[in-house]
Amino acid sequence: MPEPVLHGSGLAKAYRSPSGSIEVLRRVDLTVAPGESVSIRGASGAGKTTLLQVLGGLDRADRGELAWAGRRVDGLPASALAGLRARQVGFVFQNYQLMPELDARDNVALAARIAGAPVAVARARADELLGLVGLSARAAHLPSALSGGECQRVALARALVNRPPLLLADEPTGNLDEVTGAAVMELLLSVCRAQGTALVLVTHSADFARLAGRQLVLRSGELSPA
Amino acid sequence: MPWTLQLALRQLFPPGRVFPAFAGVSILGVGLGVCALLVVQTVMNGFGEEHRLRIRESYGDVRIFSSAPIERPEALARALAADPAVVSSTPYAEGPALARAGDFSSVAFVRGVDPADPDLPARRYVVDGALADLDDGRVVLGAGLARQLRVRVGDTIDLWSPSLAERAERGRAPLPAELQVCAIIRTGFTEIDERAALIPLRRFRELWSLGDRAHGLILRLREPADAETTAARLEAAHPAGRYIPWQAEKRNLLEAIRFEKTMLFFLMFIITLVASFSIGSSLFSSVIRRSREIGVLAALGARPAGIAAVFTAQGVLIGLLGTLLGFGLTFAILGGRDVILRSINGLFGDGDMVGQMYQFSAVPLHYDATDFVLAAAFTLVTTALAGLVPALWAARRRPTDAMRDA
Repeated sequence: MPEPVLHGSGLAKAYRSPSGSIEVLRRVDLTVAPGESVSIRGASGAGKTTLLQVLGGLDRADRGELAWAGRRVDGLPASALAGLRARQVGFVFQNYQLMPELDARDNVALAARIAGAPVAVARARADELLGLVGLSARAAHLPSALSGGECQRVALARALVNRPPLLLADEPTGNLDEVTGAAVMELLLSVCRAQGTALVLVTHSADFARLAGRQLVLRSGELSPA
Repeated sequence: MPWTLQLALRQLFPPGRVFPAFAGVSILGVGLGVCALLVVQTVMNGFGEEHRLRIRESYGDVRIFSSAPIERPEALARALAADPAVVSSTPYAEGPALARAGDFSSVAFVRGVDPADPDLPARRYVVDGALADLDDGRVVLGAGLARQLRVRVGDTIDLWSPSLAERAERGRAPLPAELQVCAIIRTGFTEIDERAALIPLRRFRELWSLGDRAHGLILRLREPADAETTAARLEAAHPAGRYIPWQAEKRNLLEAIRFEKTMLFFLMFIITLVASFSIGSSLFSSVIRRSREIGVLAALGARPAGIAAVFTAQGVLIGLLGTLLGFGLTFAILGGRDVILRSINGLFGDGDMVGQMYQFSAVPLHYDATDFVLAAAFTLVTTALAGLVPALWAARRRPTDAMRDA
């Protein structure tokens, strides 16, 4: 059996507030196999984004274990975790989160540069990924000159430029209209399939969630099958 | 180019903007600070250098001074000239006299010199006539003194020395020395130009009743910088009075200039410091404004050191470009200093303020590479620190906090 790209066990996370501690994740167990797609739904405030951030190492769980491709990462120092994240995990955010001063090609290449790729290699890989998402002609455009759907496709190309085995997508269609959202979702799934990238998708949409191979629901801080 | 530098450059100079406001204003602020620092330092260097030059020209590299006139100074001069450290050794005599031409008179400071001395500094400053014409019946005048007496080359002046007054006291009718002006010098140093009168040493001895004595000797050395040690060695070898190195002449003035320069450096450096603080403040707001981007960089795998480098590089880039701009402004302002000075004189003064206050007819300057290196180093360090503080703050933030606060 191949090594899972993601394994979280007993993950718990609470936030302190003036009125006391809010337990967002009570006990989350999640294992994702290579190339598998998993969708997570849940009500607003259920902790979907927090879960994604914990799984991607952007936030630390208070308890539990987290491993990427068989390697424990929950105890790693911030710098080592960042270095590993660059190669192991890709992120797609709801608001695209592109660098406004960089054109589409440089936005994609930036992720490769951060992972240590030389300029020429990063740019070639960026061009390849922009071609994959159908944006070769828009490579030299700044995000301000791109539509929402195009920005999200650039963000997808950026997330995959380092060929990570795991992609975490947080409401990737949340800012897009229905038609564009459907197109982006189709692209996301097809590119992940083509690249053999495992996908964890957080979404409100039951329709989009059903496109994933496995559907889960986050409720009361725990994951359960939909 | 590292990605940190590329991103820093793009954030400072976003594509499509003709004038990037934050970068432009910050660079201009640093540039003005560096310029103020270097203009002041270079002019102060100029004052110092001009004073040192005039001191060496007036008193030589070493001056032999005695409480009584020196007997047989030519023999001593020959003995000293034989020393390998000495280029030339010339007896001199000097003293005040009353100069008069027609209805105009002034006090002249007369020096007896050797007209044949090839190293006579006055040769460099002749603006009219010829110093080669100087003989017992002629005189060389400073331009200011000639103006006061309303004389030009070819005119005649009367010179009354103190010894003529002594003769009058003894009941003898004194007659002034009648001297024809053969050359006029302008050194740019008001103290000399307004007072100096040069006559041959032989004539001076006659007018001052010195016989074959002299008031002292002026030595020029191969290594003027070593004047203090050479003076001490020569004084021990040829005891004839006090051997005063040029550094000891007007020591208080030179020390005052050095002290003033140091103080001005710190005062002007405060301007650069203020500019750096404003850069730090602007970068801080930039870091807060870019919180979401900082979180995204972390999500893309940027290490905290990399995130810190992006903002530190912005501080360094502003410092670097500001320093270069400051250098350019310094050369431009100092190049046009005479025009600027004339404008200031026209606005606030009624004449030659620099000449009246600082003894120079023009603003002197002396470029010192050390000042430029120091100014650049201080500026780069302070602007780097100004960038580093917000950068470290950004790097220490948790990615989720950064993205949440955006």
